[in-house]
Amino acid sequence: MIPLSNYLIVGAILFVLGMIGFLTRRNLILMFLSAEMMLQGVAINLVAFSRHHGNLHGQVFTLFIITVAACESAIALALILMLYRQRQSLDVSLWQDLREPGQEPALDLDEPPPSIEEKLADPKLIPAGIEPARPREDSYD
Amino acid sequence: MIDNPNILVWLIPALPLVSAVITALLGSRVLKSYSHVPTVAAAAGSCVLSVLLLLGLALLDGQQSLQLKIDGFKWFSTHVLPGDAPLRFGALDIRFNLQVDSLTAVMLIAITFVGTFIAVFSSGYMHGDPGYPRFFAIMSLFLFSMTGLVLADNFLVLYAFWEGVGLCSYLLVVFWFQKPSAAAAARKAFLVTRLGDAGMILGIMLLWARFGNSLDFDTVFGQAALAGESSVLTLACLLLFCGAVGKSAQFPLHVWLPDAMEGPTPASALIHAATMVTAGVYLVARCSRLFALSPTAQLVVACIGGVTALLGALIALTQTDLKRVLAYSTISQLGYMFLGLGAGLIKDKLIVFAVAAAIFHLFTHAFFKALLFLSAGSVMHGMGHVIDMRRLGGLRKVMPITHWSFLCGAVALAGLIPFSGFWSKDEILEAVLQAGEHSDAHNTVYLVLFATALITAALTAFYTFRAYFKTFWGELRIPDEAYHHGHSTPHDHAEPNDHQANDDRQKSFESPSSMTLPLVVLAIGALFVGLIFEGATHWMGDFLAKSAVFVQFHGYTPEHGFDWLMFGLSMLCAAGGVGLAAWMYLVKPGIADTVASALKPAYNLSLNRFWFDEIYALLIVAPLTLFATVCRLFDSIVDGIVDLVGLLPRQLARGLQPIQNGLVQFYALVTVVFVAAFVIVFALWIRQ
Amino acid sequence: MTIANANFDLAIPWRVALPLILAVMALYYLLPKPRNRYVVAGSAAGLFAIVLAGVWLTRTDGAPIAEQFLFYAFSGLAILGGGLMVTQRNPARAAISFALVVLNVCGLFLLQGAPFLMAATIIIYAGAIIVTFLFVLMLAQQTGFSDADDRTREPFLASFAGFALLGGTLLVIEHTFPDSRPLAELITKIEQAVQDKDELRAITEDKQAFVAALHHEESRHKGSVNINKFADAITDLEATLNPQNPNRIQLSRDLSEMLAVGRKIQGENAAKPLPAANVAGLGKLLFTDHLLAVELGGTLLLVATIGAIAITSRRAGRKP
Repeated sequence: MIPLSNYLIVGAILFVLGMIGFLTRRNLILMFLSAEMMLQGVAINLVAFSRHHGNLHGQVFTLFIITVAACESAIALALILMLYRQRQSLDVSLWQDLREPGQEPALDLDEPPPSIEEKLADPKLIPAGIEPARPREDSYD
Repeated sequence: MIDNPNILVWLIPALPLVSAVITALLGSRVLKSYSHVPTVAAAAGSCVLSVLLLLGLALLDGQQSLQLKIDGFKWFSTHVLPGDAPLRFGALDIRFNLQVDSLTAVMLIAITFVGTFIAVFSSGYMHGDPGYPRFFAIMSLFLFSMTGLVLADNFLVLYAFWEGVGLCSYLLVVFWFQKPSAAAAARKAFLVTRLGDAGMILGIMLLWARFGNSLDFDTVFGQAALAGESSVLTLACLLLFCGAVGKSAQFPLHVWLPDAMEGPTPASALIHAATMVTAGVYLVARCSRLFALSPTAQLVVACIGGVTALLGALIALTQTDLKRVLAYSTISQLGYMFLGLGAGLIKDKLIVFAVAAAIFHLFTHAFFKALLFLSAGSVMHGMGHVIDMRRLGGLRKVMPITHWSFLCGAVALAGLIPFSGFWSKDEILEAVLQAGEHSDAHNTVYLVLFATALITAALTAFYTFRAYFKTFWGELRIPDEAYHHGHSTPHDHAEPNDHQANDDRQKSFESPSSMTLPLVVLAIGALFVGLIFEGATHWMGDFLAKSAVFVQFHGYTPEHGFDWLMFGLSMLCAAGGVGLAAWMYLVKPGIADTVASALKPAYNLSLNRFWFDEIYALLIVAPLTLFATVCRLFDSIVDGIVDLVGLLPRQLARGLQPIQNGLVQFYALVTVVFVAAFVIVFALWIRQ
Repeated sequence: MTIANANFDLAIPWRVALPLILAVMALYYLLPKPRNRYVVAGSAAGLFAIVLAGVWLTRTDGAPIAEQFLFYAFSGLAILGGGLMVTQRNPARAAISFALVVLNVCGLFLLQGAPFLMAATIIIYAGAIIVTFLFVLMLAQQTGFSDADDRTREPFLASFAGFALLGGTLLVIEHTFPDSRPLAELITKIEQAVQDKDELRAITEDKQAFVAALHHEESRHKGSVNINKFADAITDLEATLNPQNPNRIQLSRDLSEMLAVGRKIQGENAAKPLPAANVAGLGKLLFTDHLLAVELGGTLLLVATIGAIAITSRRAGRKP
C-alpha cells in the first residue's frame, strides 16, 4: 500500500502552495481561498495519520476542521463584504493604515498591466434584476 | 452669660469651616446661585457668637485678667528617646488649644462683623460669575483661618493659620486666573509674603529654642521676661516682625498689596484691607510683652511704620486707579498702626495705651476701609468694571447710596471729628508724642516720627478727598462699558442708545440692594464706632488693657486726657488736606495739572510708586534671571549628553521603522521566513 | 518510477532541493505581475518539478497498481489545481481551481479509508463554501477585474520562503519515515540465511558488504525506538563474523536475534488496519470521546451565524 510519507508530502505541498498564495495574492477572497487550501493540506495529514494508526481520531479532527472552516468562512465573508463596502475594492493593500507614523504607504508605482478582460473573455454574469442586452425586437406596430 | 463658653468658642472657627466644606463639595452641583447662603449664615453665626463672647468677657469681673483658655487636643509631639545622643533641645509638644482675651475678642468682632456684610455684598457683586461657588468656598475658608489665627494660643497654631490666610489670599487674588495679570499678581503676593514668613518661622524656632522649649504664648513670654533683655530676644522679635512686615505689606515688602487688587473687590475689602493684612499688627500686639523687652525692636517697628505710612500716603497722592489709591492708603494706615505699636515703650515700661491705640485703629480701619473698598466695588459694578478715576466723574447723581457711603468712609479715613478715624488716629499721635517726650533714648526719633505722622494725616485727608471729588463730583462722566456690561438693575433693560444719551444718562446706575445694604450698615459703623467705643467712653482702651497680655506685665496706663493741642494739630491737618483737595479738584479743576507739571520730578516719583518694583527687579530679579540662564545653559549641556545617549536607540528604531508598513501580508511573510529558517535548522540538526 | 536504480540515487538533500528550486522558478514566473510573466516556461518548470518530486520523493512499497495510479492521479491533480489557484489571475477561475483541489483531496481521503469525510468535504467545501465565495466575488466584482488581481506582493521572496519551509518539512519526513525496502531485502536475506546453509556461506564470504549494508540501515533508521538493540545486534554479529572461520551455531543465533530486531523496526512503520464500519465508528467516537468538542463546535457555528448577520446588517444610522 502507499506509505504514509507520500500523503504527508502531498499535504505539505498543498499547505505551502496555500501559504504562498496567502502571502502573494492581493485579492481578499483569494487570500481566503489560499487559507482554505492550507486547511486541506492539514486535513490530508490528519486523515493519513488516522489510517496509519488504525483509529478514527484523525478523521474526527478533520471533521472539526471542516466545522471551524465553515464558521471561519462565514465570518470572513461578512468581514470582506464590510471592507468592500468601505473601499469598493477587494484589494488588501488598501488597508495599510496601521503602519508606523511618518511611513509612506506602499503604492503600485509601475504601470498598470494591460487589461485582462479581453484576454479572459468569460461570459459575464449579469447582476440580478437587470435585463441582458439583446437585439431589440421589432415593434408590432 | 456664657454657660459653656468652650463650645461657643470652638464654633466660631468651626462654622466657616463647615460652610467652606459644604460650598466646596456641593457648590457647583447643588447650591449653584445659592452658594453664598452657607457663607453668609456661617459668618453671621460667628459674628453673633463673637458678640456674645465679647459681652461675656466685658461682664466678667474687671479685676482679674480677662483670659479664657480652651483646652483642645494634642496636635503632635516629639520625644527624646532615652538612648538617643544628647540633644541640645528638648521635646516638642504642641496642643491645639484656643484662648480668648480682650484682644482676641476685638479682633473677632472686626473679622466676623465686617466679614458678614462683605459676604452679603459679594452675593450681589459676584452674581453670575462662573466661579461663584468657588469664591464663597474660599471666603469661608478664609474666615475659618482668620478666626483661628486670632484664637490660637501658641505660635505654631498661629503660624499654621497664618499660612492658611496667605493661601486664601492667593486663591482670591488669582480668582480670575484667566487674566495673566491676576496670575502674576497672585504669584507676587504669595512669594513676597513667603519672604516675611520665612523670617517668622525662624523667629518662632529661636523662641522655642531659647525660651522654655515651648511655643505657648504664656510660657514663652514668661521665660523671656525672666531672661530679660538680650540680643537673642531682639533678634527673635525682629524675625517675628519680618513676618508681620510681609503680611501687613510694610516697607520694604509692601509691593505685593497694590497688585493684589487684581482679585475681586469684595476679597480686596475683606482680605487686603480689613482683616488679613492686619494680622501682622495683631501678631506684634500679641507679642507686646516680648517687644517691650527690646527697645531696639520697638524702635525698628516704629520706624518701619512711620516710613511706610508716609510712603503709602505719598504714592496714593497721584494714583489714578481708585482701588490702588485705597490699597496704598491701606499700606499707609497699617504703617500708622505699627507706628503706634512701636511707640509702646517708655523707660522699660509697656505703654498699654499705645498698643490699645493701634488695635483700636485696626478696628475702626476695618470698618471704614472695608466700606471704601465696597463703595469702590459698587462703582465698578455700576460702571462696567472701570475703576480709572480719569474716566469717571459726577457719579453722585447716578449712584446716590454709593456716593454717600463713600463719603462716610472718606471722612472717617481723613480723620475728621467726630468720625471713627479721628479718634483712633488721634490716640496713635498722642502715643507717639508721649514716646517722643518721655522716652530716654530715642526722643528725637520719635519726635520726627510724630511729625511724619502729622504730615501723613494731612496727606491722607488730601488723597482721600481727591479720589472722592474726582469720582463723585464734577462733570458727569460714565464710561461706555457701563452700558454694555449687564448689571442687574431693573432700569437697565432699555437698549443703550447714543442718541438718547441725555435721558439715558440720567438713569440710575445704583447697585442692587444686596450690595447697598452692607454699604449702609458699614457706613454707620464707620461713622460712629470710634465715638461709641472710645471717643466718648474710653471703653475700648480699658477693655484691651485688661487683656492677659498686659495685665500680667508691669505696664502702666497713662491718664486719658483730652489734649487740645493734639486735637488742634490733627484737625488742622485733616481739614487742610480736605480743603486743599476741594480747592484743587472742585473749585479750580485745572490747577491739579498745573501743580503736577510744576512739581514734575516729585509727581513722577509718586506716580511711579518710587520705582520700587523696578528697583527690586534690577537688584533681585535680574541677578536671579542671570543665574537661572547660566543654570539652564549648564542643564542644556547635560541634557544634550543624555539626549545623545537616547539618540542611538532612536536612530536604530528609525532603521527598523519601515518593517511596520501596515501590510498584513508582509507581516505574514516575515513570520513564514523565520518559521522556514527554524524548520530547516531543525531538519539539519536531526539528520546529524 | 522508483529509486530502485542505485546509480540514479542522488543524496537526499539534492533530491529534495532540485524539484523545489524548479517550483520556486515556476511560481515566480507564473504569479500574476504586470510584465515579465513567462507562462510557458513557468508551466514547464512546474510540471517538471511535480514529476521530479513524484519520482524522487515518493515510493510505492509494493502497493497494487490501481492504488498507485489513483494516488498519483489524485495527488498530482490536487497539486496542479493548487498551483493553478495560486497563479490564476481571474479570481473566479481560482475558485474553480480550488474546487479541483478539494475534489482530488477527497479522492485521497477515499484512498485512505475515509468515505464519510470525502462526502462531507465535497458537500461542504465544493458545494457550499466555494459557491458562497463565488457569490461574493460576483457581488464585489460586478464591474470587472480589479487592478490588484494583476499584481502580487513579494512573489519571489514568498515563493522562496514557502518552498524553503517545504524543503525543511520534507527532510524531516524523510528522516522520520525512511524507505523501508532495503531493510526488507536485508531481512529476507537473513531469513534465507537462517534456513539455508548456502546463503549463510554467501554472507560469511561477503561479510564486509553485509555489515556495511547493516550499518547503512542503522544510520537510516536513527529515528526508531529500537535502534539501540539493532546496533547491539550488529556489534554481536560483527564479533562473531570477525574470525577466519566463524562459529556456525553462534552465527545463526546472532542472525536470528538480528532478524527479530529488524522485524520490530519494520513493524514500527507498518500501518494498522482501520475499523471496518467508517461512519458508525466516527459517530461512536464523536458522541463518546469527543462529545464536548462536538458541543463546542455546534456553539461555534451558532455564534458565527449570529456574528456574520450582525457584522453585515445595515441598520439605519450605522455607517459601515
